[in-house]
Amino acid sequence: MGKSKQVGNHNNGKKKNIAKTWKTKRRTKDLDQIHADMIPTNAAKLLKQDVDYDVTGCGQHYCLHCARYFVDLKTLKEHFKSKPHKKRLKQLREEPYTQAEAERAAGMGSYIPPKTLEVHTQQVEEDMD
Amino acid sequence: MRIEKCYFCSAPVYPGHGMMFVRNDCKVFRFCRSKCHKNFKKKRNPRKTRWTKAFRKSAGKELTVDNSLEFEKRRNTPVKYNRELWSKTVEAMRKVESIKHKRQARFIMNRLKKGKELEKAADISEVKKNIHLIKAPHAGQAKQLEDKMVQKLAEDVEMDE
Repeated sequence: MGKSKQVGNHNNGKKKNIAKTWKTKRRTKDLDQIHADMIPTNAAKLLKQDVDYDVTGCGQHYCLHCARYFVDLKTLKEHFKSKPHKKRLKQLREEPYTQAEAERAAGMGSYIPPKTLEVHTQQVEEDMD
Repeated sequence: MRIEKCYFCSAPVYPGHGMMFVRNDCKVFRFCRSKCHKNFKKKRNPRKTRWTKAFRKSAGKELTVDNSLEFEKRRNTPVKYNRELWSKTVEAMRKVESIKHKRQARFIMNRLKKGKELEKAADISEVKKNIHLIKAPHAGQAKQLEDKMVQKLAEDVEMDE
């Protein structure tokens, strides 16, 4: 007999619901999309967004590398010191994987090793409120 | 008909097989199996998943740079059918494929030779270190007999190779 759905439902950790985060409707930005966002023109657009009341923090406190919005400047600065952010910076320092690399690995051309990039936390302006 | 390559594991995806994911920036990802699709949804990096071709090439376990890999390309120009050209192409494909397989096999065998050398050195070292388990350390003429036995065992190891 299978596990009852009414038993053991009180731990709401991420481990239990991790399958939900993989669903397409909850898909977050991939690493190559973030690399595209890091191009200076795109980065400038994303870091200076218009006020949007449907987004957390009205879209004014955006972490470019983690693709997340934060509610205020203090929270954004706390996020810059957090472990997931540092891990994301480390992941972004490698050139993103592409279909062309998959084809070269399959034998269509010689393999080209991935390059490393220099990625740092974005600068934040102290706004006078 | 075009045989695509799986985005994750670089395996061929034949027409009518596999899955395709079109991201909302119009980038297309093709997968040969549910295994690859699941790993993609978990945002795993193919360079770090050991069973993928991208890992094997980036970790140096397979032949990466060779002229025989340059024949297979994505050519986006249609070619008018010509019987003679078709026959020549098929024959050339067979030849290039056999050459490619030979070179890849030779690369892998050369890579595995180092392991055999290390194994042999470890065996000899273990015999030297643990000879006392089968021979008393200071028996009469112990040194001479020990050296002779070590040499004999080394010869046996060589013959076993």
